[in-house]
Amino acid sequence: MRKFNRIIRIILIFLIICLSGFVRWKAVATLSIDYDEDDYLRAAQQFATLIKNKEFSGFLETNYRPEHPQLTKILLGLSLLPEKAYPLVKDSPTTAGPNIYLPRPLVKNARIMNAVFGVASTIGISILNPVAGLLQAIHSFNVKYTSEIMLESIPAFTSFLVVFFYLLWRRETGTRHRRNLWIVLSAVFLGLTAASKYMYCIVGIAVFLDWVMRLRSERKQSQTGFVLLIWVGGAILVFILCFPYLWKDTLPRLLDSVFYHVRYSTGAAEVQSANYPVWQPLNWLFFSPSIWQPESFLFSLDPLITLLAIFGIVRLWKKYRVFALWLILGLCFLFFWPTKWPQYTIMLTAPLCLAAAEGLDMLVGIPLRSIIFRRKLVNSENTPTEKNEFRKAVPWLIPGLFFFTLLTLIPLIYQFEASLTDFNSNSLREAMQGGIFRTVFNGISGKEGVNFQEFPYTSMQLNFLGFSNYLPLLQYLEQLGIISYNLLWTFFSVLLQTILGVSAALLLWQKRTWFRSFWQVLFILPWAIPEMIGALMWRNVFLPETGWLALGVAKYGSSFPFSFLADWQNSPEKTFIILLIAGLWYGFPFIMLAASAGLRFIPSEVMDSASIDGAGGWQRLRYVILPLLAPLVLPAMILRAIFSFNQFYLFQAFYQFSGTLATLSYNFFNPTGYFTRGQFSIAAALNMITLVILLVFVLFFIRLENDVTRGSHAVKN
Amino acid sequence: MRLKTRAKQFFLQVVLMVIGAFVILPIWGVLRLAFDGSLFGRATSFRLLPQTWSISSFLRVLDSPYQSVVFSQLLLNSILVSGAAAFLAIIFGMMLAYAMARFRFPGKKLGMTVVLLTAILPPIAFVIPLYVLMNALHLRTSLLALVLVYAVFGLPFCIWNLRAGFMTVSIEIEEASFLDGASPWTTFMKISLPLASPSIFVAGMISFLLAYSEFAIGWLFVEKASNVTLAMAVYAMVQSGNAQPWSMLGSFIILISIPAVVLFLLFQALIVKRMMFGYLD
Repeated sequence: MRKFNRIIRIILIFLIICLSGFVRWKAVATLSIDYDEDDYLRAAQQFATLIKNKEFSGFLETNYRPEHPQLTKILLGLSLLPEKAYPLVKDSPTTAGPNIYLPRPLVKNARIMNAVFGVASTIGISILNPVAGLLQAIHSFNVKYTSEIMLESIPAFTSFLVVFFYLLWRRETGTRHRRNLWIVLSAVFLGLTAASKYMYCIVGIAVFLDWVMRLRSERKQSQTGFVLLIWVGGAILVFILCFPYLWKDTLPRLLDSVFYHVRYSTGAAEVQSANYPVWQPLNWLFFSPSIWQPESFLFSLDPLITLLAIFGIVRLWKKYRVFALWLILGLCFLFFWPTKWPQYTIMLTAPLCLAAAEGLDMLVGIPLRSIIFRRKLVNSENTPTEKNEFRKAVPWLIPGLFFFTLLTLIPLIYQFEASLTDFNSNSLREAMQGGIFRTVFNGISGKEGVNFQEFPYTSMQLNFLGFSNYLPLLQYLEQLGIISYNLLWTFFSVLLQTILGVSAALLLWQKRTWFRSFWQVLFILPWAIPEMIGALMWRNVFLPETGWLALGVAKYGSSFPFSFLADWQNSPEKTFIILLIAGLWYGFPFIMLAASAGLRFIPSEVMDSASIDGAGGWQRLRYVILPLLAPLVLPAMILRAIFSFNQFYLFQAFYQFSGTLATLSYNFFNPTGYFTRGQFSIAAALNMITLVILLVFVLFFIRLENDVTRGSHAVKN
Repeated sequence: MRLKTRAKQFFLQVVLMVIGAFVILPIWGVLRLAFDGSLFGRATSFRLLPQTWSISSFLRVLDSPYQSVVFSQLLLNSILVSGAAAFLAIIFGMMLAYAMARFRFPGKKLGMTVVLLTAILPPIAFVIPLYVLMNALHLRTSLLALVLVYAVFGLPFCIWNLRAGFMTVSIEIEEASFLDGASPWTTFMKISLPLASPSIFVAGMISFLLAYSEFAIGWLFVEKASNVTLAMAVYAMVQSGNAQPWSMLGSFIILISIPAVVLFLLFQALIVKRMMFGYLD
């Protein structure tokens, strides 16, 4: 049986590799020439010439585009050897557009070289987790940049191997010899990664952190500490060996190469003109290049993969902490890194796909398996004593269900149908006479064909559009980065609210706090004020020209506190901060109240016995208080997350009309609004997208609820 | 030792003051505007306190805040609409919630998931179809339409909360009542309803406040100035751009928040308990 499973697995991996190869082959053949491809081809040509003429000493002096190390360029040069020599591609500034006159045979060879490494990454990831391998195989950004003459493909592969061999070293129980082999291989690949593209060394930091976190719990600390030193040293050695340009004038050349990036990111015209917000990398992760060139990609599931990864990151942390660290560190790095080109996200594809595979398993795999194997989920709610009480329930259900169905369920269904049409304020009259149901029925039964309309819709008649509203709308959301902004907003709001809420609760809980009830009442105040009033109050503080802050800055200049926020409307980051401040004000009291309620349940004996056992303040917080608070604070956090995701009044009051999906939907809908007016079907489609995202939230919520209640039962017993 | 606790207390109070300042800041901003009698349009210079103290703007708001409609009319609209919406949400929500808390029947789990889903959708997600429906019924610009729309916003929350409330009423008490010969209806009215009254109160209050403070969506269902609610009048004032009378807006905001703040402060412990979907029981 086990052997059988193994064979299945091998066949599966083989199929995934074929898919990965096919997808990349298509991309190699059809993608148009991109920015920078000419630069790297020129660099590769130089190395190809050197190798052909056997002038290996030239390696010491040749490094076109010196901001990147040599290894990738040399490997790309190797791929050009079978072709005859073409004249060297001309040198062009970094601002130049794509050079479409590149010699095609060379482009093909170099692209294939990269694609081979892209497929190699698929193999590696598939061995660890075939589902993750599948996701990497079809991840359209990865496909794009591993099939062009870019520098991403090779370091992406080697950086994965760094972690892969590190994990093998952790698991190896055989001879010391074999263990050492794994760790040496990990170091070698770290060196190769550094010699391919610096940025990918984030993986080294992730491994290092994981190592240090484990070191604290290990016995033979000195020995592993020594291995760690060898690992770092070995990587540096390999890096220098594979980067011959550094053999002369090592330090100046290295510094020049590294500092180029700093100059580039702050000075280059194309970086300035792009003017991406800090969180642009997240927008890229929710984007798909198939919008730019649809014919080159078979799949464009990137946003879905990212969404799944968000849900899977916790499980990934438990299973392979080092990959979760890699993902988090990499994302933080990209947030802080001023240049935000889309190709940088390839650095994260491997951990992203592993996290997404965990998310997929949690949301789809586990429920599916429990159905197949008929393992009933434990449900403490249903008592097995009584069975079907439908008859008793009917009198209670009928009136409620009637109202609920009429005013809640039918609207939802209606909404879905409206999203399949071009319903707008002009066709309102027809819709009022049941036009939506009629049009959709005719459309589905084939009586009426799909009748495409120009956006914005103005037709007086309702037309059936099928699902054709959704794709352009999703592309619109991706291009403006609205979904990622919405999720980022939710994450940071809840994070800040939780930190302040729990800290405030802990401060008030201290023994003998003076004026405790006064502070408590004061802190609850924002929660008692209706959301829209709170939003207006903050608007009064931050409004340009007439707000408190603007007036203060006008009077006292830049010495006024928080004056750096005064010009918030010109910068997406500052707008984000302003909104976060207002959101924090509105949301923290609820978390504080939940945490206070939880703190009241902690018996003083627990705290006393913890201090007798020698637990310090931090340890008591970490190991006693927070775990006991979790069952109460977690649901409060989920509630706040849902509120934040749907936040509407705040964004409306600050004129951020495309801030959240809910705000966008309102403004597409509003018949007298600011955007193209009364686009009812677009608003309906937006609501359906919100519905799907929140549905995933609910599934997650129910799982978490089960876990938490089970956990709290364990505490009670 | 004593010195140490003193220092700790001092530090604690400083941190609390910082948080307190953050909480007070926007409220103070509005109070300063509301009590300033010297303001006619926007504030033109930075001040922490009003230039000339006055309550004239409060009096003006209490007179006629929106067009020619008097304050009492707006207040009446608000109370009528919010009260009726809360009442509908409670009545219908209670029935569904009771059935879901007490009985086992096929499709219950699916029903619960649907209710939860509707409870977490943003209110805007229900507006389009209701807009069409109300238009078709020729109700769109009546107060009844507002009542129904706001009731829909409150309903899923009511169902979910009341279910948790009914589940805290122990089933043994009901069974004892049945054994004594009471009908299901009597049992519900005499036993379960009184025992669950705190949850009903909170659910009703939340639904009421939801309707009371809604200001953007309501405008889609109003044409006559006499049907406007308080919250909608505030938004209308905001929409009038830079010409808006700022001190009137400030005092209006304060007046409208007072009932909500009083209710929340009085019943905070109860509300938190109920808002947590039954986690604190």
